[in-house]
Amino acid sequence: MTTRSFFSFSALTLVLGLSAGCASATLPQHVGEVNDIFAARNRRDLAASVPQDEKDWEKTAAEVPKLLSKPLDADGAVRIALAQNRDLRAAFYEIGIARGRFVQAGLPPNPEIDFGVRRPNDPAQPLQLDIGIEYNLTGLLILPLRKGVAEAELAAERLRVAGRVLDTAYGARTTFYTVQARRQELDLRVRALKAFQAGYAAAEELHRVGNLPDVDLATQRAAVESARIDVAEAENRLLDAREDLNVALGLSGEQTDWTVEAPLPDPPAEEVAPERVEQRAVAASFELQELEARMRVASKRAGLAQTEGTLPHVSGGFHGERDGFAWEIGGHVTVGLPIFDRNQGTVLSARSEFGAQRERYLATATSLRATVRSALNRVESAGRRARHYREAVLPAREKALAETLLQYNAMQVSVFQVLESQRQVTQTGITYVETLLDYWNARAALDQILAGRHRGLALGPAGAAPSNTPSGGGSAEAGH
Amino acid sequence: MDRRKFVQFGVAAGSALLAGDVFGQETKPGAAPSRPSPKRAVFPGGQPAVVTPNGVTLPLKEKGGLKIGHLVAMPVKHTFAPGLEGDCWGYNGRTIGPTIEVVEGDHVRFYVTNKLPEPTTVHWHGVILPNGMDGVSGLNQRPIKPGETFVYEFTFRHPGTYMYHPHFDEMTQMALGMMGMIVVHPRRPKGPPVDRDFVLMTHEWKITPGSRRPDPNEMTDFNVLTFNSKAFPGTEPLVVGRGERVRIRFGNLSAMDHHPIHFHGLTFETTWTDGGEIPVSARRPDTTVLVPVGSTRVIEFVPDELGDWAFHCHMTHHVMNQMGHGMPVMVGADARKIDPKVQSLLPGYMTMGQTGMGEMAEMGMPVPKNSIPMGGGAGPFSSIDMGGMFTILKVRDNPDTADPKGWYQHPKGTVADRADAAAMKADGIDPDARFG
Ligand SMILES: [Cu+2]
Repeated sequence: MTTRSFFSFSALTLVLGLSAGCASATLPQHVGEVNDIFAARNRRDLAASVPQDEKDWEKTAAEVPKLLSKPLDADGAVRIALAQNRDLRAAFYEIGIARGRFVQAGLPPNPEIDFGVRRPNDPAQPLQLDIGIEYNLTGLLILPLRKGVAEAELAAERLRVAGRVLDTAYGARTTFYTVQARRQELDLRVRALKAFQAGYAAAEELHRVGNLPDVDLATQRAAVESARIDVAEAENRLLDAREDLNVALGLSGEQTDWTVEAPLPDPPAEEVAPERVEQRAVAASFELQELEARMRVASKRAGLAQTEGTLPHVSGGFHGERDGFAWEIGGHVTVGLPIFDRNQGTVLSARSEFGAQRERYLATATSLRATVRSALNRVESAGRRARHYREAVLPAREKALAETLLQYNAMQVSVFQVLESQRQVTQTGITYVETLLDYWNARAALDQILAGRHRGLALGPAGAAPSNTPSGGGSAEAGH
Repeated sequence: MDRRKFVQFGVAAGSALLAGDVFGQETKPGAAPSRPSPKRAVFPGGQPAVVTPNGVTLPLKEKGGLKIGHLVAMPVKHTFAPGLEGDCWGYNGRTIGPTIEVVEGDHVRFYVTNKLPEPTTVHWHGVILPNGMDGVSGLNQRPIKPGETFVYEFTFRHPGTYMYHPHFDEMTQMALGMMGMIVVHPRRPKGPPVDRDFVLMTHEWKITPGSRRPDPNEMTDFNVLTFNSKAFPGTEPLVVGRGERVRIRFGNLSAMDHHPIHFHGLTFETTWTDGGEIPVSARRPDTTVLVPVGSTRVIEFVPDELGDWAFHCHMTHHVMNQMGHGMPVMVGADARKIDPKVQSLLPGYMTMGQTGMGEMAEMGMPVPKNSIPMGGGAGPFSSIDMGGMFTILKVRDNPDTADPKGWYQHPKGTVADRADAAAMKADGIDPDARFG
C-alpha cells in the first residue's frame, strides 16, 4: 500500500438477487397493497382501480365510461374518483418512493477492489502489481436495522396513502352532494322567478286594462328583474360545483358532460346512532395508525443511530502484491474509534422525533374523539331538522298556500298574495335543500371518520346557510 | 275545470241547497215554523201577533197582572246561512234574541241570567222607564256578573217598536249578536188594522272567511249583513196576502251603518219611529226607508201585485256575502294572459272577475271552510247573485196555505225574455246600433 494508485474504480455492482423482485414493484402493486388494507376492513368499495400495466397509465379505467354514460350518483362519483383522480395516483407512486428506499436500505454494501500497477525506475525490475479488496463490515452488520427503519417508513406511507384514498372518496362524495343541492336550488330559484313572472304578467294585464297604477307594475317588474339575478347566481353556483366535481373526479374534455338527475335524498325516517362511535373511530383511524408507524420509524431510527454511534466503524480487506514473480498476500482491518462522534445528535433528533409523534398521537386521538362526537351530533341535528322541514314545515307551507288559494277564490286576497305564498313554499324548499346538504355532508363526515379519516372534514357552521330570500318583497301589496 | 263545469257544479250545488233546508234554520222547540203561522188576532183591537222571521217570541208568564219573562245571556252557535256558522253570543240560545211582545201598560218582570264569561246588563232601548231599570252598567246598576241573575221590573207606558241590547262592553256583546226587538202594542190602536206584523232587525258583522268568531274590533269592513242575524240565502221570506195591510218593524243595531231598505213592487209609508207614531199628515209614500243605527222604523203597505218581490238594503256591499277588498279590479283583464303562467305553479288557480263578478256565485270554486263568499241563493230563473241583507216578500192570494219555499208562477207572457228578431225589426230596434 505504499505505492500510489495508478487508477482505481469502485461501485462494481454485485447483483445479489435478494431484492430483485421488490425493485420491479409497479403502480398496480402499490395500489393492490392499499386495496388490501381496505379489503381487510371489509371496505372493498374503496378499492381503487388502475390500469393493469403501468405503461397504460394514461388509459381510462373500464368502469369510468360506463359510469359516465348514465346520470351520476354519489357512489358512482366515488368510483370514478378512485379510478381517475390524479392526485391519488401520485400518492400511489409515493408508495413506490418509500418502497424504493426500503429496497435500497436492504442492499449490502458493495466491496471495493483496488488494482495498482507500478513500473519501477529500474528497467530490469518487472511490473509491480497490487490488488486489494476492501469491505465495509459495519455496514453489513447494521443492514437489518436500516432495513427495519425503511420498512417502518414504507408501512407508514401505505397508511398515509390509504388515508388519501379516503380523502378522495370523501371529496368526491361531498362535492357530488353539493352539485345535487345546487341543481335543486337552481330549479327552485327558477320556480321563484316563474312566480314573479306570473305576478308581473298579471300586473301587466291589469295595468293594460287600466286597473293597476304604474307603481304596482314597476314594483312587480323590479321583483322579476331581481329574481333573474337570483337565478343567475344559482346558475353560477351550480357551474362552480360542477367544476369542483370535475376536479375531484379527475374529469376533462368530453368526460365533463355528465348529468345528475336524482335530487338529494330525504333523510332516513329514523337515524340510528352508531354504537361505540368513539372506540370505533379510534380503532379505524389511519391517522393514528400512521402516527404509530411514524413512532416506530423514529424509535428504530434512534436505535439505528445509537448502534451506529457505538459500533466502531470496521472495514476489512485482503491485499495481494505481485513483486516480480511472487505474490505477497495479507489482510487488514480498519477500525474507526467512536470517540467524538457517537451519533449523539442523530440519536437526540430521533428520540425527539419519537416524542413529538407520541404527543401528536395523543392530540390526534383527542381531536378525533371530539370530531366524531360533533359529526354524530351534526348527523342527528341536521337529520331532525331535515325531517322537520319535510314532515312539518313544507306541509305547513303547502297548506298555507292551499288556504291562500281558497282565500283568493273567496275574493279575499289577490293573485299577488297567492303567488307570494307560493314563493314561500319555494323558499322553504330552498332551505330544506340546504338542510339536506348539511345532513348528507354530516353523514359523509361521520362515515369518513368511521372509515378511518377525521381530518379535512367539511362540516361547516351548523344550520342551513341562510339562502338569499327571493328579491322583490312587498309585491304582495301590489294591487291592493 | 273549465268555466262551464264550474257553472254546472254551481247549479247542482244550488239545487241541492234548495232541496235541503234553504234557510238553515235550526228548528228548536218554540221556534217559529218556516211557514208563517196564520194570523192570530191576539192583541187588543184585533192586532195580530208579530212574526219574527228566523226568530221567536219570548214566552211570558202571567201572574196577578204581571208578565214575567226570562232572558239568558249566553254563547250561541249560530248559522248565518248554509255554509257559514258563527260562535256568537245571544239570548235564550239564539241571535237575535226572542222578540218581546207586550201591550201598552203591561207591567213586566224580566229575569236576566248571565251565562257569558263576562258581566252584562240589558238596556231597554227606546223604552221610557225608571232610571234604575235602564241597564247602563255603572250608571244605573252594577253589572250582572257571570252566573248571576238580575231582575228588571217596570211598566211599558208607551206603545211602539223598541230594541234591547247589553250596555256593558257594548262593542263586543253587540258585535257578537246580543240584541232583540221589543214590540209594545197600543191598548187602543188607531188607523186601519194590519193583517201581518213582522219584525226585522238589521245588523252587520265581520267574519273572516274560514273563521267562526265575529270580530268586534272591526270598524268599517263588515262582510256579513243580516236581517234577524240571517244573511241571504239564509233569510226566511215574508209571505203576505195580496190586498193585506202589512207592517214591518225595522230595528238597526249595526255597529256603524245605516241601512236604506228598498222595496220592490210596492210603496209604503213610514208610520212609526222609536220615538212614537208619525202623524198621518206627515207621512209620505216611499220605496226606500233609511233605518239609522240605533233606531227603529215601522212601515206599512198594502201590496197589490202578486209575485216574489225583493227587498234589501240598497248599499250594494250590504247585499254581498264575505267579499274582501284585497283584490285588484279584474274587470276587463284577459285571463289567458295570466292563467297559464300562474297555473304552471298553481294548477288550481283561475283568474276571476275579469268579465264582472255577477256570475262568480255560480262558479262553485272551492273556498275556505265555513265561508259563503260571493254568496247568493237559488232563484227560479238562475242563481240570485246577492247575499246579506236581502230577502223576499212573497205576495200571494192564499198566503196562509202558500208554500213559503215556492216560487211565484208567472202568468204567460209576463216575464221578460229574449226579444224576437222580427219584432225588433218591426219596432225599428237595431241591436247592433253604434253610439259615438
Ligand atoms: Cu245596509
